[in-house]
Amino acid sequence: MKAPLMLFLLFVLSWTASFAQFGPDNGTKPSEPRYILIENATIMVKPGQTLQNASMLIEDGKIVKIGNRIQQTGALTYDYTGLVLVPAFIELYSNIGLEPLNYKSNGWRPQMESNKEGAYYWNEAVHPELASADAYKLNETQLSQLQQSGFGFALTHYTDGIVRGSGAMVALGSSNIHKQIIEPRAAQAYSFSKGGSHQSYPSSQMGSIALLRQALYDLKYYSANQNTLPYSASLSTWATLQQSPSIFKIEDKWEILRAQKIAREFNTEFIYIGAGNEYAISDELHKVQTKVVLPLTFPEAYDVNDPYLAKEIPLSELKHWELAPSNPKLLNEAGLEIGFTTFGLKNADAFWTALRKVIARGLAPQEAMAALTTTPAKWVGQEQQMGTLEVGKLASFSVFSADPFQYEAQLLATWNLGEERSFKAYNSHQILGSYTLHLPNKDYELIITGSNEKPQAKVLSITGADTLKINAVVTMTASDISIQFLHKGAGGQLVQLHGKLIKNGMLIEGDGTDENGTWIHWSAIQHQTTPQTPLVSIKEDTTQYGQIWYPNMAFGFQSKPSAQTTLFKNATVWTNEKEGILKGADVLVVDGKIKQVSRQNLTAPSGATIIDATGLHLTSGIIDEHSHIAISKGVNEGGQAISAEVSIADVVNPDDIDIYRQLAGGVTAAQLLHGSANPIGGQSALIKLKWGVTADELLISNAPKFIKCALGENVKQANWGDFNTVRFPQTRMGVEQVFYDGFYRAKAYDAEWAAYKSGKSSTAPRVDLELEVLSQILHSERYITCHSYVQSEINMLMHVADSMGFKINTFTHILEGYKVADKMQKHGVAGSTFSDWWAYKFEVNDAIPYNAALMTNQGITVCINSDDAEMGRRLNQEAAKTIKYGGLTEEQAWKLVTLNPAKVLHLDNRMGSIKAGKDADLVLWTTNPLSIEAKVKLTMIEGTVYYDEQQQIEKLQPLIAKERTRILTLMLAANQKGEGSKLPQKKVKKHYHCDTLGEEATASENTH
Amino acid sequence: MRIFVFFLSVLLFNQAWSQRILLLHGTAHIGNGQVQESAAVGIVNDRIAFVKNSLTQNFAPEDWDTIINCDGQHIYPSFVSANNTLGLTEIDAVRATRDFKDVGDWNPHVRSQIAFNVESKVVETVRTNGVLLVQATPRGGWISGSSAVMKLSGWNWEDATVLADDGIHLNWPSYSKEYATQQSAIIDFFELAAAYASNRKNQNTDQRMEAMVPCFNGQKRVYIHAQTVRQINDVISFKEKLGLKHVVIVGGEEAYLVGPKLKDSKIPVMLGRVHSLPAHEDDLTFLPYQIPALLKAQGIMFCLQNEGDMQPMNTRNLPFQAGTTMAYGLSEEEALQSISLSVCQIMGIDKLYGSLEAGKKATFFVSKGPALDMRTNQLTQIYVDGIPISTTNFQEELYLKYQQKYRSQAKTN
Repeated sequence: MKAPLMLFLLFVLSWTASFAQFGPDNGTKPSEPRYILIENATIMVKPGQTLQNASMLIEDGKIVKIGNRIQQTGALTYDYTGLVLVPAFIELYSNIGLEPLNYKSNGWRPQMESNKEGAYYWNEAVHPELASADAYKLNETQLSQLQQSGFGFALTHYTDGIVRGSGAMVALGSSNIHKQIIEPRAAQAYSFSKGGSHQSYPSSQMGSIALLRQALYDLKYYSANQNTLPYSASLSTWATLQQSPSIFKIEDKWEILRAQKIAREFNTEFIYIGAGNEYAISDELHKVQTKVVLPLTFPEAYDVNDPYLAKEIPLSELKHWELAPSNPKLLNEAGLEIGFTTFGLKNADAFWTALRKVIARGLAPQEAMAALTTTPAKWVGQEQQMGTLEVGKLASFSVFSADPFQYEAQLLATWNLGEERSFKAYNSHQILGSYTLHLPNKDYELIITGSNEKPQAKVLSITGADTLKINAVVTMTASDISIQFLHKGAGGQLVQLHGKLIKNGMLIEGDGTDENGTWIHWSAIQHQTTPQTPLVSIKEDTTQYGQIWYPNMAFGFQSKPSAQTTLFKNATVWTNEKEGILKGADVLVVDGKIKQVSRQNLTAPSGATIIDATGLHLTSGIIDEHSHIAISKGVNEGGQAISAEVSIADVVNPDDIDIYRQLAGGVTAAQLLHGSANPIGGQSALIKLKWGVTADELLISNAPKFIKCALGENVKQANWGDFNTVRFPQTRMGVEQVFYDGFYRAKAYDAEWAAYKSGKSSTAPRVDLELEVLSQILHSERYITCHSYVQSEINMLMHVADSMGFKINTFTHILEGYKVADKMQKHGVAGSTFSDWWAYKFEVNDAIPYNAALMTNQGITVCINSDDAEMGRRLNQEAAKTIKYGGLTEEQAWKLVTLNPAKVLHLDNRMGSIKAGKDADLVLWTTNPLSIEAKVKLTMIEGTVYYDEQQQIEKLQPLIAKERTRILTLMLAANQKGEGSKLPQKKVKKHYHCDTLGEEATASENTH
Repeated sequence: MRIFVFFLSVLLFNQAWSQRILLLHGTAHIGNGQVQESAAVGIVNDRIAFVKNSLTQNFAPEDWDTIINCDGQHIYPSFVSANNTLGLTEIDAVRATRDFKDVGDWNPHVRSQIAFNVESKVVETVRTNGVLLVQATPRGGWISGSSAVMKLSGWNWEDATVLADDGIHLNWPSYSKEYATQQSAIIDFFELAAAYASNRKNQNTDQRMEAMVPCFNGQKRVYIHAQTVRQINDVISFKEKLGLKHVVIVGGEEAYLVGPKLKDSKIPVMLGRVHSLPAHEDDLTFLPYQIPALLKAQGIMFCLQNEGDMQPMNTRNLPFQAGTTMAYGLSEEEALQSISLSVCQIMGIDKLYGSLEAGKKATFFVSKGPALDMRTNQLTQIYVDGIPISTTNFQEELYLKYQQKYRSQAKTN
């Protein structure tokens, strides 16, 4: 080491100068070494390969030789005895050197169109034209933090928007920007987050998904027709990036599976930047072989010293706090390749603390190293240049005091493209020990303890009878040492010595002044060495951590349940078939289906679970035609009047406790509907309420297609405040025209495609996701469920449908359906309504609880739905109200929440009644399910028991309490170590309602 | 029909009327836990004269203006809805109809009684399910205002009033960094009021303070809206510190965790909506259905109330909320008590209302079947202070109108 104190040792290397910096030098060309030779180092070449006592020869910023005996005359030589070289880490998620983006805002008025001037894409969240390489600036603070974390390369890009533009691979040397950009378009970046754009659209995650898909289709179309289409600054740039790897930032584990569908659709691949909770679905991620760059930001411990507050932390958060640091280990064990990002970490110390924690949790050091070097290099196709310390690669590496994956090592310096930057003084001299300090007139014993960086010393006179130990001040810089002490201790005269270390500290020689101020020459000979503070290993964390539950929260399963052959004996069976209610009947369930229903005693097949249902009632599961539970990040894409392109099926959230709660109310299936913020909303998700499965497993396979439409006050934004008067429509008159506009455009679109398919036109038209869906409606391939209140608008929509040649499938809410039941019957539309809600807005003034009965009596298929997570779990009670209001029979009433919704959803061939061959979606009740005293004992979907009241009380509740206590004990221990300053807060569970806007659910009143 | 004409004549022509009505052979659910099978319920003018066993008594028909056979039917005292904005708002989304929340943090002097809309369309749909009394309650601020107990029938708010300004409503702060400060602000306010009350003659009239004065002599209740264990414990200390006589916890989501202490402090609880989702993700799915039984088991005085989304219109579901508790530990009569006598006891009007007992106001109804089950809650007679009230409402009228439309269409086809 030549000058350890100099922070910047600068060698401008000839190869870069000749490539990038074309300008003249001021004065004579700078001098630089031809070769740099590092000797006596431990070189961690790549994961699994380490060379001891090795040398490395660097020329032109690249490694040209590596091995044990390298000699090179004329090389600038570094002695790295005892030091460890590690390949520079590669950061794949960074915005280093980039300024935040600025978006023009309209203030408080909604912004429907792009405010960006120029030939750019219509939506401001899609900006593929942004090239980070063109805007990259050196940012010393950010550079230094990454370098101190061991990073030598970063993929920097705008971490804002849905299509974010290109990322540049930059080397993190700080001297000269002309050398830094290794690969200007190393990758392109995506996310589902709209970012800083103020444009109304998209306002939900499903909107972001639709926008990304549409943009990708537009890109295809543009690429194919570039010669004939007007120039697009966005698409033309994007087209050039198609060979670059794509990184995709996600905010939650399920988003990986969502993005994965887009990857399949467009035959591409994403490298995910993870959220930190991927471990909970590691098996699912393994199935799709995803690449995930994992964050090292772990949830902070709560301050749990106040038990009242600790009570407010849900088990889901406790479990995540516990397992988040094990995320890398668990994913690695599941067979996934992982990377790491420092994104979100405060500083380098936080990085090293987190990395050590990850290793302590059991991630093999070699795997940790790979995750920071070879794996990211390979993922972004840079493995020829970086990731290992092999001949031909860039000379970028970090110098540690020991193997940083095994020990709590210190990072002393980094080398970037052959250029050194020193962070900590490294001293190869071993000065700790005992010396005989020889002054001309006197000998002392000099004892140096502490560390090289902070030596502490005492001197003891050994010539006289004096035995006083005197504190001395010792400072050391490189091989220079100075020693000062007071002769004879306090009150004595100052002795000042300065010397040089010779022979690695065995001998010190120098000069100075003695207590009399006389200039003297002195020496010290080491007679005993004390080793440096021993290396601290990263200790394996042997704590027994908890198991992952499915889902990883309260009431989750410890192992995924499976379908059982089950025989219900002697139940009162509500068949919903012509047999009506059978007393003392047996129902046999095999392979998830109802095998047999009989009043004869059925014999249980071997291995069957037999349930004695004497005195109990067995029904088919409740089906909720209108629900907004289990949805991620937004129930409305209200940014536009028509958003047919979005789909709730894209954003189903399996971790919603309301799934379990609905099961406890006997609900087995639901239509998750888009909200009612716009006339043509989004596509529905038809799900079965399976608990502890993935979003795809929740979706009913081969389900018919549905879309939500809406009328009335919500779509005209009547109750949204006086500033919301920008979007068309603002009246019921306008609503009609929105429908006509959509369907006329869809017809034209159809014609265009028909012409292409029949060969009349040679170029494929642009794919328009919105019109695709509207066209499905025109072709009766997709059914409409329309939110509706007053008779005028109900009538209107039936006219629109009639004139366009299709039928409305369902009016939902339909609170004035009773006024036009005759017209509805004629049109053939079903009605799905509330039992008794009204008085929440003006348009429900004439809503009456007799609605369901009146419509039923006019021959309409009627459902009672919830539109509410609370009411959804007692739809049996809501159905029973139709007996009071309008005098339906009990069997009629029960069908309103079972068979009728199955019919309305075109699923009655599979569910809705107890009949051999149908899905075994069954509920066992304590009594008549329409009774106020009815309680669910057990809920089964396709033969699997997902809810069992007795289990909840006797097994799950104590288990949850135990698990809470176990983790709170760990958290309190963490508190005592000084972790966790965040106070828990009471969280009100938020819900999506018909009119909830944006990605966040609300705790406000449900106004439907 | 004969009865109805008689009632009409009473209503239209005779304010200071005299009447004697005898209901025979119905099942009388007294409201205090008792049931009288085959009951004889005697009504004289606006009062219940007696509730007896009809099989063991003889009644001379000539002693009665009207005798109604209620065989097979059920007789209940009025259900009572505490802590409700019913009558103070009509359509939630229409600002012009919202009359329950005024500006300011300290509004004890703001009185719900005078904004109460006796002709509310919502009121008539609530009445027909058996809810005949409401505690009309303002919202907002730290002290929202003074509530009033109102009959759901009357010509105007004056004659609908059962008890004006029955209590003030204090919203206890939720826990936050400001919790201690906010708590002191409340204590300061009450201390200020106590000082005023002890020497009001020598001061200029302060309407805010005047509204507080009856809180200190027990004439007015202090309804404190509080949910969590911490809040409830602090409310108990607050009551002791200020020596308040009548404090009621409104909400009391976690009251079941503070059992013995709450019982000792003699603070009753107006429990929040039974038809709610559990407050915590980790709670048992049915916890809100079970809390009434948990309170009952600990001997805590409680009643149900219905604050929450769309509460005015939802008031008609109060009986079914009580009914829901029956599967989770309350008996039918205990469930009934929680929306009748207990409510009146907690509000201090039980001398006149809350149960079918001699001497109390004849505010009750008759249903074809058990009224806590939606299938059988079908009212055939309703009385408010002895005056018979229509058992229909505009919604049923619309029903009949459109039923008629379809019937006549069917005929013409």
